[in-house]
Amino acid sequence: MTLHFTPVWFIAVPLLLAFLSPLWVRLRLLMPILLGAHVALFALALSWIPTVRVAPLLETIVIAPPLGIHLHLDAVSLLLVALFNLAGALVASFIWLSNRESHPFNAAQDRLFDSAQDRLRGRPAFILILLLIAGSSGMVLTGDLFNLYVFLEIAGVSAYALTALRRDKSALEAGLKYLIIGSVAAIFFLFAIVLLYLQTGQLNMAALARDFAGIPAPMQALIGLLMLIGLGIKAELFPFNFWVPDIYRGSDPEITALFSGVLVKAFLFVLFHLVFLLLADPTVARTWLMALGATTMLVAEAVALRQQDLRRMLAYSSLGQVGLITLALGFASEATTAGALFHMVNHTLIKLLLFLLTALMLRRFLSVRLANLQGLGRAMPLAAGLFVLGALAVLGLPPLSGFASKLWILKGFAEARVFWPIALILLAALLEAGYYFRWIKVFYAPEPPVTAGQPEGDWAYAPLLLIAGLLILLGVAPFLLEDWFVQAAKALLGRGAILESVLGVQP
Amino acid sequence: MSRVPLRKRFRVQTLLLVLLCGWLLMLHLTILLNHGLDGLTTGVGDTLLARNSETASANAVTSVVVSYRGFDTLGEVTVLFLAATGVGLLFAGGLTPSPVPRDRDSHPNEVMVTGTRLLFPTLLMLGVYVVLHGHLSPGGGFQGGVIVATAFFLRMIADPAFTLDHARVDFYESLSGSGFVLFGMLGLVLVSTASFLGNFIPHPVEAMGQLVSAGVIPLIYLLVGIKVGAEVGAIFQDMLEPDPAPDHALAAREL
Amino acid sequence: MLEFLDSPRVLHGIYLLGSLMLFFIGLYGLLAKRHLLKIFVSIEIMELAVYLILIALATSPGETAPILSDGLLTFTGMADPIPQALTLTAIVIGVAVTALGTSMAIQYHRLTGHVGVDAMTELKD
Repeated sequence: MTLHFTPVWFIAVPLLLAFLSPLWVRLRLLMPILLGAHVALFALALSWIPTVRVAPLLETIVIAPPLGIHLHLDAVSLLLVALFNLAGALVASFIWLSNRESHPFNAAQDRLFDSAQDRLRGRPAFILILLLIAGSSGMVLTGDLFNLYVFLEIAGVSAYALTALRRDKSALEAGLKYLIIGSVAAIFFLFAIVLLYLQTGQLNMAALARDFAGIPAPMQALIGLLMLIGLGIKAELFPFNFWVPDIYRGSDPEITALFSGVLVKAFLFVLFHLVFLLLADPTVARTWLMALGATTMLVAEAVALRQQDLRRMLAYSSLGQVGLITLALGFASEATTAGALFHMVNHTLIKLLLFLLTALMLRRFLSVRLANLQGLGRAMPLAAGLFVLGALAVLGLPPLSGFASKLWILKGFAEARVFWPIALILLAALLEAGYYFRWIKVFYAPEPPVTAGQPEGDWAYAPLLLIAGLLILLGVAPFLLEDWFVQAAKALLGRGAILESVLGVQP
Repeated sequence: MSRVPLRKRFRVQTLLLVLLCGWLLMLHLTILLNHGLDGLTTGVGDTLLARNSETASANAVTSVVVSYRGFDTLGEVTVLFLAATGVGLLFAGGLTPSPVPRDRDSHPNEVMVTGTRLLFPTLLMLGVYVVLHGHLSPGGGFQGGVIVATAFFLRMIADPAFTLDHARVDFYESLSGSGFVLFGMLGLVLVSTASFLGNFIPHPVEAMGQLVSAGVIPLIYLLVGIKVGAEVGAIFQDMLEPDPAPDHALAAREL
Repeated sequence: MLEFLDSPRVLHGIYLLGSLMLFFIGLYGLLAKRHLLKIFVSIEIMELAVYLILIALATSPGETAPILSDGLLTFTGMADPIPQALTLTAIVIGVAVTALGTSMAIQYHRLTGHVGVDAMTELKD
C-alpha cells in the first residue's frame, strides 16, 4: 500500500471534504478546512512543476484511454489548476478574515436575510465554493469529453446555487437567469457530444481528434456550431454574453470574484483546448474566434463607459478582458498564447482584488452605485488605494503585471506582422482608462462620504494586500514565470504531443 | 383588419419563431439524414462489451456506469448533492411564508393513510431489490434510490404523523458520499489495482450472474442507492414544507 | 408489408425525425414562453430529445439489451452499453438542475408574486 499523489486528488479531496461537511459543522472547522484544502492543493500543484516539465502526466481511471476516462496533467492544465486553487484560497481567507458582526442594517431588515458574512460562512456556501473550484479543475484536467460535460455541470450547478445565495429578489432573479441560460448552453454542448459519439464511437478527446477529420464536412460544421454556442455562452463571448452583467450585479461580490476569476477561465480553456485539439487545421475557427474576441472586447468596453453600478462596470470590464484573451488565444502563435495565459493569471488576480474590494465597499456604503461612492477615498483610504492599483493593472501600466502580459501579447502580434489587433487592444485600453478614471475621480471627490455600514476590520485587507503584492511582483519580474508560460503555450498548441502521449501514435 | 393590431403583432412574433424553429429543424434533419443514419459501426462500446467479463458483472451497462465510467457517476452523484444543497439552502429558515397557506388541518382520509402504510414496505423492498441487483438485471443505484425516495415521499404527503429526520438524512448522505470517494481512493492506494475506483475485491468470472460477484460494483451501487435515496428524499422534504429551524442556518450562526 | 421499416436506415430516420421535432418544439417553447415553469418544461423537452437521439441512433434493430440473462452466455449481438450509461448519467444531472430551478422559481414567486421572466427587471440599470 503506497500513498500516490496523482491528479485525481484535485477532485477527490474536495469531493470527500464536501461530503463530510456535517462533520466539519459539528467540529466548527468549516472555514479552516475551506482555506486549508485550497492551500494544500495549490502546494500540491506547485510540487508537480518539475515533473510536468519533462512529460505530461496521464492518470488512468479504471481502464486505459481511449476506452476509459483519464486525467491529463500537462503544463497548461497544471497552471490553471494552480491558479484556481490559489483563487479559492484567497477568497476563502477573505471570507474567513472579514468581520463577523452583522450590520445594523441587516438587523433592522427581516431577520431571515442573514448578513453576507454569515451566509458565506455557512455549510451550503462551503460545499458550493469547494465544488465550484473542484468542478473547474476537473474541466481543465479531464481527457474525456463526456466527463467534461459532467464537470461542467458540477461547476454550473454550484454557480447557479451560489448566485442565489442571498435569497432576496435580485439574487433569485440572477440565479434563475443563470440557471436557464446555463442549462440551455449545457444542452447544446451535450448535443454536440452525442453527435460526435454517433459519428466516431469515441469519447476520449485524443481519439476524437484522430477521427474528427473523417466526419463529413456539414456534420463537422454542425458539431462545431453547437459547441461554439454551448461554450460561447459559458465563456461569455459576444453575442452570447448579454446575461453576464445581470448575474454579476445580482450575486455577492465574493462569489462574483470566483465567477470572473475561475469559472470563465476554465470555460475559455475548454473552448480553445477543443478547437486546437479537434481541428488539424484550425484556421477558419481561429479567424471566427478572433473576430468574436475583438467584438466582445470593443462592445464590452464601450458599454462599460456608462455603467452606474460598480458591479456592472466590473462585469463589462471582465468581458472586455475575456475578449482580449480570446483574441490573443485565437491568433495561436506561441508568443500570443503565452501572453494570453499570462493575462489569464493577471486578470484572475486583478478581478479577485477588485470584486473583493467591492464587497468591502458594499458593506460600508450599502450601495456601490456611482453616486453613492463619493468621497470613498477618505472613508476607506486603503480600499481606494488598492482599487487604483487594480485599475492601473487592468490598464496595463508599468510596473504592474497587466503591463507585462499585454506587452507579450502585443509583441506576439507585432512579430507576426499583424497590426489590426494591436490597434484594437490599444483602443480598448483607452476606453478602459476612460471608465476606470471616472470611478476613481468620484472616489477622491472632495465631498464628505455617506457611510451607513460598519467599518471592516484590518484583517480583511490581508488577502487583498497579498494579491497586490503578487501583481507588483509579476509586473517587476515576469521572467520568473516566463518559462512556465511558454511551456504551457506549447502544451496548449501541441496537438501532436497530446495525441502521442494518449494514444501512443504519431498523428 | 385594423381593429386587432395588438393580437396581430403577437401572431407575427409567434409565426416568426415557428418559422425559425422549423428552418433550424429542416437544417438539422438534412444534415443528420444525409450523414448520421448509419449508426455506430465501431466504437469504444464494442471493445468494452467484449472486455466486459473482466468486471464479472452480468449487466454490461452497470459495469460501464460503475466501473469503466465510474468517475462520471461520482460526478453525477455530486451534481445531485449540489442540487440538494441548493434546494436546502433556498428553503432553509422558511424564507417567506407561502402566499397560499397550506391547510394543516386537512387530513387525508383513512383509506389513503392505511393504503400508503401498506404500500410503504413493499415499495421499500422493491427499491432495495433494484439496488442490490444492479449488476445482474436492469436497475441499479439510481433507479432503486429513487424508488426508495418515492416510498418516503408517499408517506410524507399522505401520512400526517410521518416526518423525516433531517439530521439522519444528512448523516446517510454524508456517509454514502464519502464512502464512494473512499472506495475510489482505496482502489488508488492498493497496489493490485493502483487506479482510482479500481475493482480491488476479487471478482472471478465464474461467479458472473450470482448475487455476490463483480467485486466492488454492487457495493458502490449500494452507496449510490443510499445517496440518491437520501438526496431525492431531502429535496422532496425541503419542497414540501420549509423547515422552521434548519440545521444549516443554525450552524452558520453558531460559527 | 411493413418490412422496409426494419432496415436500420429507415428506422433511424424515423427516430431522428421524431426526436429532432421534439428538440425544436422545446426550443420554440423556450423562446416563446414567458412562464418560468413552462421554460423549465421546454428545457426538459430539449434535453430528452437529445437523449432520444443518442439512444435511438446508437442501437440497431435486432440488438438485445447488454445484460446476460435468459440463457444468453456471451456479449454478442448486444446494444452498445455506453450510450445507455451516458443517458443514465445525463438524466440524473438534468433532474438535479430542474429541481434547483424549480425551487428558485417557487421562492421567486413567494417573494415577488411573479412567475414570468417579463417581470425580471431588478438587475437592469
